Amino acid sequence: MRPFEYCAPSTVTEALSLLREYGDRARPLAGGTDLLIFMQSGRVQPDYVVDLTRIAALKGIAYDPAQGLKLGALTSMREVELAPAIRAHYPALAASTFELAGVQVRNMATIGGNTCNASPAADTIPPLMALDAVAVIAGTTGERRVPYTELFQGPGKTALKRDELLASIDLPPPSSRTGSHYIKLAVRKAMDIAIVGVAASVTLDDGLVQDCRIALGAVGPTVIRAHEAEQLLRGKPLEDATLKAVAKAAQAAAKPITDQRGSAAYRTMMVGVLVPQALRQAAMAAQRTE
Amino acid sequence: MEPNGQQFHVVGSRVPRVDALEKVTGRARYTADVHLPGLLYGVFVRSPYAHARITRIDVSKARALPGVMAVMTQQDLTEDQALVIQEEVHATRRVLNLFATDKVTYQGQKIAAIAAVSREIAEDAVRLVEVEYDPLPAYIDPRDAAKPETTMIYDDRQPVIGPHGETLHNVAGESHHQIGDVDQGFRDADRIFEDTYIVHRAHQTYIEPQSCIAEVGPDGKVTVWSSTQGHFAVRANISSSLGIPLSQINSIGMTIGGGFGAKFGGIIDTYAVLLAQKTRRPVKIVYTREEEFLDARPAPGAVITIKTGVTHDGTITARQAFALWDPGIGSGGCGATGRIQGVYSIPNVKWDAYDIHTNKPAPGAYRAPGAPQATFASESQLNRIAHELGIDPVELRLKNMREGDQVDFKATLKAVADHVGWWQREHDTGPNQGWGVAVGEWTNGAGPGAAVVSIHEDGSVSVFSGLMDITGTDSAMAVIAAEVLGVEYQRVKVIRGDTDSAPYATASGGSVITFSMGNAVLRAAEEARERILALAAEQFAVPVDRLELRDGQVVDRDHPENAMSLAEAARLGMRTIGGPIVGRGAFAAQPSATTIAAQIAKVEVNPDTGQVRLLKYVGSLDVGRAIYALGVEGQMEGGAVQGFSWGLMEQMQYAIDGRNANPNLLDYRIPTAMDVPYVESVLVEVPTKNGPFGCKGVGEPPIAPGIAVVAGAIHDAIGVWCNEAPITPERVVMACQERKDGVRG
Repeated sequence: MRPFEYCAPSTVTEALSLLREYGDRARPLAGGTDLLIFMQSGRVQPDYVVDLTRIAALKGIAYDPAQGLKLGALTSMREVELAPAIRAHYPALAASTFELAGVQVRNMATIGGNTCNASPAADTIPPLMALDAVAVIAGTTGERRVPYTELFQGPGKTALKRDELLASIDLPPPSSRTGSHYIKLAVRKAMDIAIVGVAASVTLDDGLVQDCRIALGAVGPTVIRAHEAEQLLRGKPLEDATLKAVAKAAQAAAKPITDQRGSAAYRTMMVGVLVPQALRQAAMAAQRTE
Repeated sequence: MEPNGQQFHVVGSRVPRVDALEKVTGRARYTADVHLPGLLYGVFVRSPYAHARITRIDVSKARALPGVMAVMTQQDLTEDQALVIQEEVHATRRVLNLFATDKVTYQGQKIAAIAAVSREIAEDAVRLVEVEYDPLPAYIDPRDAAKPETTMIYDDRQPVIGPHGETLHNVAGESHHQIGDVDQGFRDADRIFEDTYIVHRAHQTYIEPQSCIAEVGPDGKVTVWSSTQGHFAVRANISSSLGIPLSQINSIGMTIGGGFGAKFGGIIDTYAVLLAQKTRRPVKIVYTREEEFLDARPAPGAVITIKTGVTHDGTITARQAFALWDPGIGSGGCGATGRIQGVYSIPNVKWDAYDIHTNKPAPGAYRAPGAPQATFASESQLNRIAHELGIDPVELRLKNMREGDQVDFKATLKAVADHVGWWQREHDTGPNQGWGVAVGEWTNGAGPGAAVVSIHEDGSVSVFSGLMDITGTDSAMAVIAAEVLGVEYQRVKVIRGDTDSAPYATASGGSVITFSMGNAVLRAAEEARERILALAAEQFAVPVDRLELRDGQVVDRDHPENAMSLAEAARLGMRTIGGPIVGRGAFAAQPSATTIAAQIAKVEVNPDTGQVRLLKYVGSLDVGRAIYALGVEGQMEGGAVQGFSWGLMEQMQYAIDGRNANPNLLDYRIPTAMDVPYVESVLVEVPTKNGPFGCKGVGEPPIAPGIAVVAGAIHDAIGVWCNEAPITPERVVMACQERKDGVRG
């Protein structure tokens, strides 16, 4: 690992001014479970590492039935996984944290770090996207809000500028009769990267799908929403024929590559298999909220 | 009382390992824990290309970097210095250039070695070495590399004519054998099955990477600390590689964090010595995990086409194989094709097998080298034959199994089948669940070694030798000495000497240790025992045959008041002409007996995603005699896990340009604790004539059947045969798809 200067600001303002001052030469450090690996391999060689872990304002989980969920970006994956409110109201997010790496890594890794690392195979991004999350981004001139559907620009690339920080992730309050689910397809039960990740959120109304969101991981340069597939389902019952068409539309939205984890063909097939499963599971969760 | 009348007080008991405390408390010293004054760090300049001509190497900038103490390339060596790797256990010998000069033949090949005062400076220096390459097309599949239109990876290789008159290129080795007349055997068959099985390369994935430290004294004497399965092998390799007399090398074997066949030396130790000679300072080399995948010695892949003739009642009439093994730029693999005979009486057998060069690192031994690959082909096909003939796969095996002296293959297979309730399994099989069975055979080797047993004046015992414990064999040696001397296991210390102090000991591989070193320790303990008995006989003035050793005492059977503790005997010995009580024992080789590992798995397959969940995994093994039972079970469990994980997830992947696509433990998958079901072991004991207390070598056989076991279980669950391992979820789905599309049966 190359030598670097270590800074540990205690406020967001201080952190932002350091990022502004050092620009491309600085990297913010949260849990370090991605950054330190990149630094060790030489893929990232910052001159300054800005440690955010002492900034109390970036941590914590706040849930209010009327306001929704606010996740501090520096909240650990393990805290997200174990939070009763998230298990009850945002099951897809809870499921994705449980499937991420192993407990030791989840104790270190942060929910914001997983987003900022912007891996197309990130486990928590598909559920956040399916749950309509909004990134609250702090900059020197104030905060801006970017929906997850507009946050990602490519592998490792987000809409965040060098002198901005992800402050929190806001999720809208859970609607009634709404459920969500995340399915990770991997070879191992832990410590593995998704070959395909599918998150779905479903709102039911009198047996019909009033609203739904489908997000797909590891089948494109970023996590993507399958908008056309969602459109096919809205207003319809969750029946086999409909789901078949929805799966097909989701497959059409997927643009996977072949890599060491799976071929493009297999990934596309699995989108077709997992999207209906995730939707059914989400619908079952929705029924439980009635 | 044992069935054969022998009664043991320690053999077979479940005592803690002698090294348990130092390992669980983190006090065991591994090679990387050794720090010496003035230590330098050694790293390598490696080829980023799998196949390329080198047009220029310039190390001047790296040499000029402050803190760099040496940069070595082939130019710095004398003509006779080359990498000589002799591996006595598997009887292999390879001679390779230490560094690439005009051509690289795999990604990660060493071009230069650098020693610097810190690892960071050494790595900076790597980036300052200028190498220009002219890339060549890479061959990653032996089937492609063997085609007549390919160029030779080694310019001096000649084409070889194969068994069907075809021209084969890049042939690195051959194995041919014929028993009986296969043509007649196939004419005698009612049905003939022909299938091709593919197994990809697997890395041994020991947790401790290759590690070594070398120091050269003012007199030129070399001291080497390394993570090795055999420090005597390290000494021999360094001596023959660098022309240093054996007497000028002291090789110290540190506690080892796994080896599985890949740590007989030759990967880094020679380079550490070279750099230490050049700098006159100690040099440490510790591989990164990425280096492990790029430039260690993994198991070769294989493509095996196997043809078997059977009669309607399941009698095997003939078996034939044609195999292309993937040893990368090395050789060694194709000989294992002979394991297609299995443990069956097959009158007509023939194989033609080739090692085909590809642009990958040379292979090494991996636990029962070649057996998992060949056994996948032979045992998987046997499962298919059983299915096609409508014969139970256990019955089919029992019908064809050989019988003989010191072996009981049938009892071993029946033991595991009975244990899992094989004959009633339909009552225990849910949807998409299935059962698979296979057996793998192995015969332990033997190697030379000697040991010294001392009785101390407090009655405690020490066993001294050059044995490198990798699997709990020190505990087995303690059991053997304690058994012979009638003392408690806890009273025995097992001490490992370096090559300067200890008598020769064979390397720990080939399942030889408890058999070979066990015999040496047995003989040494017996000699000490005889001395104790003689001393006591004289003291009590009674015949020796009335005395026995038990509970730490020598006792007169007829007059128990004539008793002497071992401590008293030891002190008595010191007052005699003969002096302290010492026993010496040595052993080289005696015939050993074949054993089989029989394993059964129960799986559940998700037919939509292809994910396979292991629900149960049970193995039986004819261990001859379990001397250190916990260690034997550890071997059975560990081997089973490595076998099925090769069957389900382990594969070194290569991109089309020959670069390793998964050089890390994230994408080269080995199972986590969550992926391993409860593994049960059933010990079968059919004693041998020559193993101490009748033991057989148990280290290697348990890995052999695993791939075939999971393939059989997957077929039983969802009705498709997967003939390419590892059987990943994707391969399961694609096999289902092919069946749906009617590509195959």
